[in-house]
Amino acid sequence: MNKKEIAPHVEDITRALNGKLSKQEVEEQLQMYLEDYGVPLAEAKRAIVNKHEGNPGDLYTKVEKKIDDITGDERSLYFKARIVSLNEKEITANDEPKTIFYGIFGDDTGTIPFTIWDKSIMPSELSESDTVKISNSYANVWNDKPQVNVGERASIEIIDENEVPQFSSESIACNTKDIREGMSNLHVTGRVLSVEKKTVQTNSGEKDLFSGIIADESGKVQFSAWHDFDIKVDDVLKVKGGYVRSWRGIPQFNFGEDASVEKLSGDEMPSLDELKDVGCMTISELARRGGAVETIVDAVVIDVKAGSGLIFRCPECNRVVQSGSCRVHGRVEGEPDLRVKGILDDGTGALTVIINRELTEDILGYDLDKAIEKAKDRMDHGVIKDEIEDMLIAQPLRVKGNVTSDDYGLMMVASEIQQRSIDVKKEIKNLLDEVAI
Amino acid sequence: MSMIEREVAWRIFASEYNNSTLEISGGSERSPSYVVTPLGAMVNRLYVVGVLTETENMGTPEEPMWRGRVSDPTGTYFINAGQYQPGVATTLASLEPPTFVAVVGKANIYKPDEETVLTSVRAELVKEVNEEQRDLWILEAGRSLKERLGAVEEALKMEEVSIDELVRIGYERKLAEGVKKALEHYRSIDTNRYWERLEDALGFALPEYEDRSELIRTEEDEEEDDDNIEELVLEVLDEMENEEEQTEDGFEYDDILEKVKEKEDITEEEFDEATRSLRKKGHVFEPALGCLKRIY
Repeated sequence: MNKKEIAPHVEDITRALNGKLSKQEVEEQLQMYLEDYGVPLAEAKRAIVNKHEGNPGDLYTKVEKKIDDITGDERSLYFKARIVSLNEKEITANDEPKTIFYGIFGDDTGTIPFTIWDKSIMPSELSESDTVKISNSYANVWNDKPQVNVGERASIEIIDENEVPQFSSESIACNTKDIREGMSNLHVTGRVLSVEKKTVQTNSGEKDLFSGIIADESGKVQFSAWHDFDIKVDDVLKVKGGYVRSWRGIPQFNFGEDASVEKLSGDEMPSLDELKDVGCMTISELARRGGAVETIVDAVVIDVKAGSGLIFRCPECNRVVQSGSCRVHGRVEGEPDLRVKGILDDGTGALTVIINRELTEDILGYDLDKAIEKAKDRMDHGVIKDEIEDMLIAQPLRVKGNVTSDDYGLMMVASEIQQRSIDVKKEIKNLLDEVAI
Repeated sequence: MSMIEREVAWRIFASEYNNSTLEISGGSERSPSYVVTPLGAMVNRLYVVGVLTETENMGTPEEPMWRGRVSDPTGTYFINAGQYQPGVATTLASLEPPTFVAVVGKANIYKPDEETVLTSVRAELVKEVNEEQRDLWILEAGRSLKERLGAVEEALKMEEVSIDELVRIGYERKLAEGVKKALEHYRSIDTNRYWERLEDALGFALPEYEDRSELIRTEEDEEEDDDNIEELVLEVLDEMENEEEQTEDGFEYDDILEKVKEKEDITEEEFDEATRSLRKKGHVFEPALGCLKRIY
């Protein structure tokens, strides 16, 4: 642990010992427990306080923290923050449906994702941009980043907004590719590839929302503007402010009235057509990011799953019918369809890819009617899946589509598939030149 | 929430994979197990593209147990498929070696006794491919090897290998974990040797490079040493054939290595290199896993 990482823990111990040891002494002792003996952090802190006749309970007593100082091991956390974003989510806990809230807290030092696990402790009128005092929450680390949990022991109190200084005014320039959940006060420059107006229900009534995709050389990101900035396709925008939250792993860049939106001439930004083809990512990058919109993956199909090829869907619910029977509607006359459910793997990671009827017809070189005919001739639906395996497996492909993630991993819904054109010999030569120095 | 990630299919050269002696299991029943290579790849699944050189059904027609050998520029993968992979068995039965194939399968280590470690691939899928697809695989395996060599060399610079530090300088956490495990298990890792192999493997896919590389290599003294070791191995094999009872399967690697070591102090890696080269040149072959026999 380096000096910066260890500092807040030294602080905790020094406070709990109430001046019995100097910070210097505490740091030396803590380093000894951690480095020389490999004692876990929480245990080390407890042990040092006990040894010097302090009360380990004081380690975690009321001390107000700034967001940037939250390390992820706090068991009892007090702080004041503005609510940057607030969302509702239905989950299943112990087989019971449950409503939780998640979002982002911010103060002048930074931002942190949070989850409110218990609706009952939440003030009913709580909404975005409120300033709150959170008592007795706890922190943990997820995906290498600390986050705050507001559980049933915690309390939330709405306070005057002047109690928390404004976010630091310096916004952070960010490429669209590097945008991650939980970021805020960004500064993004890109060309608008698409935009559409939607009307959505929010806690404070109906609201107009302008959402679409904005791109730069590095990639693409979905945006949602909560205010009418008169955004049009092909505009080059410089947006300052805003925050990022994810939907099923796909980061979405949100900004509202208080953001600054500037229209640039855009001479330096690639054209609309050029930008449609940016956004190539490795699967490991996608896994770290959680998802991406209109991304491009270069990989091979290494498995074609059951349920691919000629399938039948329930006319009521569209679910795939198995042995003539729908999971929900029982025996039904299934409607034929073509699709592929495969595994794409690029050597850095793997994801499930879903290929719809239209693209599957392109791969096969014939349409659904012909597929049905073929299956009838051979008296076996499996022949279509066999043909798909033949066409796809081990082929170098370039697949475009949206990638989302959930508990079962990454999933891509393909919108375009093509053979990857790559000069392998030249690439090998390049790699050889790098290696043979 | 934790995501169940599907295990990646590693592109990895046979020489590195076959030098693995470490297997770690994920603890609980459902967590995956890994073969950890000397350069820290934690391999659960593999994607291999190479030349299928031999197939054989070691089982019965009713209960097939197919074995195959797939060679890449650095060595040979041993693949197998039993009755639980009927599709693979059918494909292997119908393929006529030599031919380019792609294989997806699970990493497997078998330790028949204390000293012997045999690596193989339990095939889930075998498909005939073309030379271009093989070359692409060499490119991907090459990039992957280069990444690991970089990570191992960074780790070797550290007083104590720190996963966080490796992640900080840009390596994937899983690779960083693998590198730490590898450095703890494999006492000495000769990265230079792997750099050379990488160079050779890439040159293999470039016909015009071959002349150049031969030129460079003959200038090196090392090549001469290698030749001497090869001679020595052949000499030992001849002696063994004269002295000991001849078996169908030839002699086990470890026995040969022991006898060679009595004559000259060579490392296991040098021995592997020599036998690999002898196989390539057609002086010896491998009648069974981990055994060697002279061809006259």
